[in-house]
This record gives sequence, C-alpha cells and structure tokens, in this order.
Amino acid sequence: MNRRASFQVPLLIALGVFTLINLIPILWGFLISIRQPADAFAIPPKLIFDPTLIFHYQVWIERGFLGFLLNSLIIATGTICISVPIGTLAAYGLARTHARHSRSLLFGLLAVRMFPQILLAIPFFVMARTLNLIDSYWMMILAMVAINQPFTVWLMRSFFMDVPVELDEAALIDGCNRWQAFRLIVLPTVRPGLAVTALFSALLAYNEFLFALILTGSRTKTLPVAIAEYGGEDISYWSLSAAGAIGIMLPVVLFTIAVQRNLIRGLTFGAVKG
Amino acid sequence: MWLFMVPSLAVMTVVLVYPLASAIYYSFLRYYLGGGAPQFIGLANYVELLGDERFWGDLLNTVIIVGASVALQLVMGMALALALYAATRGVRLISLLNFLPNVVTPVVGAIFLKWIFIGRFGLLDATLISLDIFPPNWLGDPVWAKITLILADTWKFMPFLMLVLYAGLQAFDIQLLEAASIDGANAWQRLRYVILPMMKPLILFVVSIRAMDAFRFFDLVYVLTNGGPGTATETVTLYTYQIGFRMLEVGKASALGVITLIIVAAMIAGLILLMQRRGREAF
Repeated sequence: MNRRASFQVPLLIALGVFTLINLIPILWGFLISIRQPADAFAIPPKLIFDPTLIFHYQVWIERGFLGFLLNSLIIATGTICISVPIGTLAAYGLARTHARHSRSLLFGLLAVRMFPQILLAIPFFVMARTLNLIDSYWMMILAMVAINQPFTVWLMRSFFMDVPVELDEAALIDGCNRWQAFRLIVLPTVRPGLAVTALFSALLAYNEFLFALILTGSRTKTLPVAIAEYGGEDISYWSLSAAGAIGIMLPVVLFTIAVQRNLIRGLTFGAVKG
Repeated sequence: MWLFMVPSLAVMTVVLVYPLASAIYYSFLRYYLGGGAPQFIGLANYVELLGDERFWGDLLNTVIIVGASVALQLVMGMALALALYAATRGVRLISLLNFLPNVVTPVVGAIFLKWIFIGRFGLLDATLISLDIFPPNWLGDPVWAKITLILADTWKFMPFLMLVLYAGLQAFDIQLLEAASIDGANAWQRLRYVILPMMKPLILFVVSIRAMDAFRFFDLVYVLTNGGPGTATETVTLYTYQIGFRMLEVGKASALGVITLIIVAAMIAGLILLMQRRGREAF
C-alpha cells in the first residue's frame, strides 16, 4: 500500500473529518445536555453558551434514572449469572467433540440467532401475562438468557478452540477426569474470553429495548424504555432527556474500550478473529 | 462430552424451544389476550395476512430501507476499511471512535438522530434555515422519512461493516498486493482484481448478517418515525408489534412472526446456496 508521508497526511485529515461528521449526533446530544433549552434550539445553532450540569443532576436524581439504572444492572447481572456458566460448559463440550450432531446443534443455535426476535417476544408476553409476571425481573432475565445463550456458546467455543487439545490430553494422562481437566486446566486459560463473553452478554441485556418494552413495568423499567418515554417531542424536556441519553451511553463507551481487542470476534459470533 | 451440554440444552428447551413452539401453535388460533378462550381456526390468520395490503406494504418498506442502507453501508464500510488499512498512524483511535454509533444503546442512538432530523429545531433544519435553504420534512414526508431511516440505519451499522472488513484486509497477504504493484496494476486494478475477490466471502458474510437483522429492525423506527407518516415507514416487525402488543391479537401476531421466520429462513437457505456455488468457483 501507499505509505508515503505525502499520502498519509491528507488521508489522516480525511479520516479525521469523517470521524467528526460521524460523531456529530453524539456531540450534539452532549451539547444539548449541558445548556438551557432556549440556547439549545436557537436558529442558527448557537455554539457559545453557559454550560450547566443541572440537567444531568435532575434526570439521574430527581427523575429516578438511577433507579432505572439499577433495574438495568440487575437484569444484566442476572443474565450473565445464568447464561455464561451453562453456555461455557456447552461451549467446552462442543469444542472438544467431533460428533456429527454437534455440528447440527451449532448451526441450529446460529439459526436461532437469526430468528425474528418478535416471534419469541409474543410467547414471553403471553407467559408473563398468564403467570402474572409482567413487571418482574425474572421474565426479563429469562428472555435475555434465551436471546443470549446461542451467542455465549458460539463465542466461548471460539475461545476454547484456541486452546490446544494437547493440554486436555496431558491432564487426562496425568489422572484428571474430564471435569477436572476442564475445571482445573482449561477453564483458567480462557479467563479473558470469559470476561469478554460476560461483557458482551451484559451489553446485550443493557441495550435491549423490544423485550424490555413489553416485559417490564413501572417497578422494573430499564434505561432504554425510560429514555424512550422522554423521547423528545416536547422541547422543554430535551435537555433533560439528552442528559439521560449521554449518561446511558457512558457505560457503553467504557465497554468498548474494555473489549476493543475482542470487538470483532464478539460481533461476529467468534467467526472472525480481529 | 454430552454431559457438558445438558444444562444449556435444558435451559434452552424451557426458554427457547417451548416459547417458539407455543408461538407456532398460537398462529393457528383466534386468540385475544384477555378476550375469552382461544379458538382453533386453522390457517385463517395466514390467509388474512397474505391478503392484507398493509403487510405487503410493510414488507416492501423493509426491503427498500434495509436494501438501500446495506448497499450504502457496504460501500462506505469498504472505503473506510481501505483507508484505515492504508493509514499508518491513529488507526485504533479512529476505528474506535467511528465504532461508537454501533455499540451505543439503539434507543439512545435513535434519540440522538432525532435531534438532528426533527423539524425546525433539529440541527439539520436549524442549519439549513439559517442558510436560507428550505429543508424537506425529514420525518413527516413519506419519501424523506424512508431516506432518513436509511441514513439512520447506515449511521448505526456502517461501523460494523468497517471493522469486520478491516479485520479481513489485515488477514491477507500483503505480498500479493506488492506483486500486483510490480506487475503494473494501479490502485483501482489492485482493488478490483486482488482485494475484492479475496474479500468476497467476508462481504457475503456481513451482508447476510445484516440482511437477517433487517427483520429485527425495530428500535430506530420505533423512536424516529413509529412507522409514520401513516404506514410509510412501517416495517414488518413494527406491524407485528402493533398487532400483538397494542391490539393484543396474539394469534394473528404469531402468524405474522411465523411468516417473517419463513422469509428469513428462505433468505438463509438462498445465501448458503450462493456461498456454496461461489465456493466451487474457488475465488
């Protein structure tokens, strides 16, 4: 490729300009969140103003967004606690067997990932209504496990595939049984993979909207549902909802930084290693 | 080894297989939630939906919006991936920053976009008006609303294509490119005859993932236009949502879900066939 300096400088400028344009919606949202509505919607757009954090305070403290954050965290944690352990076990089993059925199981799981989610949302809604479990954490957590499980299995399997089989075999020869080989020898080597999988599962639950919209209520409402209600037709609420939106985004930014080396693998079900 | 899979399979039977099976069963019922006992009506829900103009309109909307945005994403994502590949510095920072729209909570991303496109007070309108340009009705005009959604979907998913395609570029042998250069291929020829053929499997892979996502296209539409004006931007998923969770017609909504599933399954089968056929051509 062309790596001459005369080519690099314009290339970097072009990339920088593109990045800036691409981030305008987020930057604009941030600007709305730190100024009075009257300044935020001046025509032409105003770039000089007195910044304020009052709306961030109001939305998280006075409007109860901290409570919705707690709901989001409870659901994300519950999902991880169920989905990751069982998914990891299954992934290990699938990574270490060559049976024909395991292939069809893997592709079955992939097909489930491709399903229209709304088809799953309907029976969950019916179950929640008949069992009177609308507005309880459990239904939401179970729904997130359902969506998450195929992903967890595929991603963890890709991490187990990176561990040489000889490691298991050596453990078996040294007298471990299958469980001990897994628990004592193989599992510790995939710890980073476990962390990545847990983070991706958390993000999935944290970002989920459709299921949260139908399965949660006033007690268990998650952040995406809460912010969508502020959605923003009424201009006087815009600064407030911008402050909420920016706050909701922060953990996602931290997530991206934390998993940056494994982003592509996570996004493609472990199919492409970045 | 099967013992390792038992817990996961047991849980999936309860939370995945059982619900899906019951959804398929519901699709043969006249079943209003809270409206008396369900009644078996065979294929009546399907017949009704297939004769429903709104369904066909929604299907067309879904295909137009997602088709156009995937095409746009692919071109932009490829261009950016090539630019990143050519750059020697700042690659990690630039790709991370550009990746943000993809990981941001979809509802939050949609709200950010709403503040750009919303009439009069949105950044776009405010800017255009102050330049004395009369802006189109981004969210309220049937055609412009589709265009806005295409742009919104592109904003959200282009980074995904960029990142995966960039990973693909990094994986292949730089010597091939150098050989092509020595043989006198210019930049365009290197792209057309060396890079693109090698990237074909990956391009097919990301396009198929995005195509299947098309039928989960919900959050952005829900927040930005909620299907409006009228049903000009309503997607199949949004219609299913309306039937199932607004009108509580569980039977009919399930039937629409199953129809969607059949469409997606047919697409998957088609893509697998395509990949296998291309595979034999050995690209």
